[in-house]
Amino acid sequence: MDVIQIERLEAFYGDMQALFGVNLSLRAGETFALVGANGAGKSTFMRSLVGLVKDRRGHIRLGGDDLIQTQPEDIARAGIALVPEGRMLFASLTVEENLLMGTMNRRRGHWTLDKVYDLFPVLKERRSQMAMTMSGGQQQMVAIGRALMSNPRVLLCDELSLGLAPVIVGQIYESFAKIRDDGMSIIVVEQDIQRAISVSDRMACLLHGQVTLRVEDTSRVNLDALTAAYFGE
Amino acid sequence: MVWVETILNGIFLGGLYGVLGLGLALVFGVMRVINVAHGDFIVLTAFIAVFMAATVPGIPPLMIILPVVVIAAVIGWLFQTVLMNRVIENDDLIVPMLLTFGVSFVMRNIMLETFGANPVTLDAGQLSRASIAIGELNLGVLPILTLGVSVILFGALHWGVGHTEMGRVIRATSDNPAIVRIMGVKPGRIYALVMALSLMLAAVAGVLLAMRTSFTPNSGMDRILIAFEVVVLGGLGSFWGALIAGIILGVTQMIGFRFDANSGLLYAHLLFLAFLIVRPNGIFGSK
Repeated sequence: MDVIQIERLEAFYGDMQALFGVNLSLRAGETFALVGANGAGKSTFMRSLVGLVKDRRGHIRLGGDDLIQTQPEDIARAGIALVPEGRMLFASLTVEENLLMGTMNRRRGHWTLDKVYDLFPVLKERRSQMAMTMSGGQQQMVAIGRALMSNPRVLLCDELSLGLAPVIVGQIYESFAKIRDDGMSIIVVEQDIQRAISVSDRMACLLHGQVTLRVEDTSRVNLDALTAAYFGE
Repeated sequence: MVWVETILNGIFLGGLYGVLGLGLALVFGVMRVINVAHGDFIVLTAFIAVFMAATVPGIPPLMIILPVVVIAAVIGWLFQTVLMNRVIENDDLIVPMLLTFGVSFVMRNIMLETFGANPVTLDAGQLSRASIAIGELNLGVLPILTLGVSVILFGALHWGVGHTEMGRVIRATSDNPAIVRIMGVKPGRIYALVMALSLMLAAVAGVLLAMRTSFTPNSGMDRILIAFEVVVLGGLGSFWGALIAGIILGVTQMIGFRFDANSGLLYAHLLFLAFLIVRPNGIFGSK
C-alpha cells in the first residue's frame, strides 16, 4: 500500500524549471533511494515535498490529501519530515532543544527523546551542548533525531553522507537500518550509488529534473544501466 | 556623597533606558528589523496612560501600567500581523524598516491631531515625591522602583527566552525561519508574539518615563534615539548588553548634569559616538 504518491511533480525557481513531471510512489515501510549527479534536482524534489519550493505543480498525495498547495508548517503536521541537506540545525539551541523542535508539529507517536537517545547514545551525553559545536557526524544524528521526533509518516533524508568521513557515514547508516526496521517509510537521496543500493528496497535515478531509470528490486540492479542513467550516457 | 547619589540616580535612570532599548533589541534579534516606530509606540502608550489616569481619577499610577501593557500587546500583535508580516520575508531588509519609518510619521501626526502639541506628564502623585534616606543618601522611591521593574523585566525575558518552549521557538525562528516552518511552526505568529512583547516592554518604559519627564507627540524621536543607542552600544540583539548600555548612558547623563545642568543627553550621545569609534560592535558584540 502506498503511503505517498507523487504525480507529475514540477518545480520552478522563477523562470527556471527544475523538475519535469516526476512520478514516484512510496510503499508503507519501504526505503526508496533517489540517486543522481549534482544538479539533477534531487534536493529540489525533497524541498518540494515539504513545501520549501514555493512554485510547484502536480500532486503530492498523502493519506487522501493533496499537499501541492499546502504550506510547509501544515505539511509537517500532516506527517512529512525532512532531514535537510547540510543538516540545518538551529545554532542558538542545544542538542536537546534542537531535538524538541521536532515535536512542534504536535504529532504523537512512539518516537520520543528517550528513543532517540537509545538510537544515538552520544546525543544523551551531550544533550546540553550547543548543537553546532558537535562534530559533523553528531550534527547529522541530531538532524535525524529531530526529524524522528516529529513522528512522521514519511521521512525524507537528503544526502546524509554529505561532508562526512566514510567511517562516520558507515555509523550513520548503521542507525539508519534501525529506523528502517522500525517500519518507517523513507525516501533517501544519495550521490553514492553503492550506498543507495545497499540501504533501499527500490530506487530511481534523476537527471536534469526527470526520472531516467527505475529499479523495482535493488537486489537485482543492472549497474551499467544505472551508471548510464546517472551520467546521462 | 553627592557623586554616589549622582551615580546611583544614573543607574536608576539607566535601567529605564535599558527597557527602552530592550523591545527594540528583541525585534532586531529575532526579525533583523529596526523598528523606527518604536519611539512613537512608547509615546503612544504614555498618552494612553495619561488618558486612563484622566478617565479614572484616583487610580494608582503604577496600576495604570497593567491595562496599558495589555493594550500595547494587542497593538503590537495587530501591527505585525496586518502590516509587518506582509514585507518581513522581503530579501531587501530596507523594506520592512521603511515601513516602520512610514508608520512612525503617520502615528506622530495622528497623535498631534488627537492630543495636541503641548507637553504632558503623567502625575505619579505622592510616589514622585517619596524618598528614602540611607545614611547620608537621599534616594527617590520612584527611580528605585523603576530600576527594580527594569531588572525584573530583563530577568523575566532572559529566563523566558532561555527556558521555555516559546523561548526555544523564538530562538529557532531567529536562527532559521524557513527550517522552523518544516517543524510545524508559523514564523508570522512568532513574529507577532515578539512584536507584542516588544511593545509591552515599550509600554512599561513609556509609562515610567512619562512619570519622570514631560512628553509631546514628537518625543518619539528622542525615545528611539536612546533606544537605538542602547541597542547598538549593548551589541545588536543582546538583552543584557542593552541593560548595561542603558546604565552607562544613564550614569553619563547624570554626571553630565553635574557639570552642565542644560546638557540633557549631550554627554550620553558623545559617549555613544566614542564607543562607536572604539567598539563598533557594541559591548557584547552580536547576539
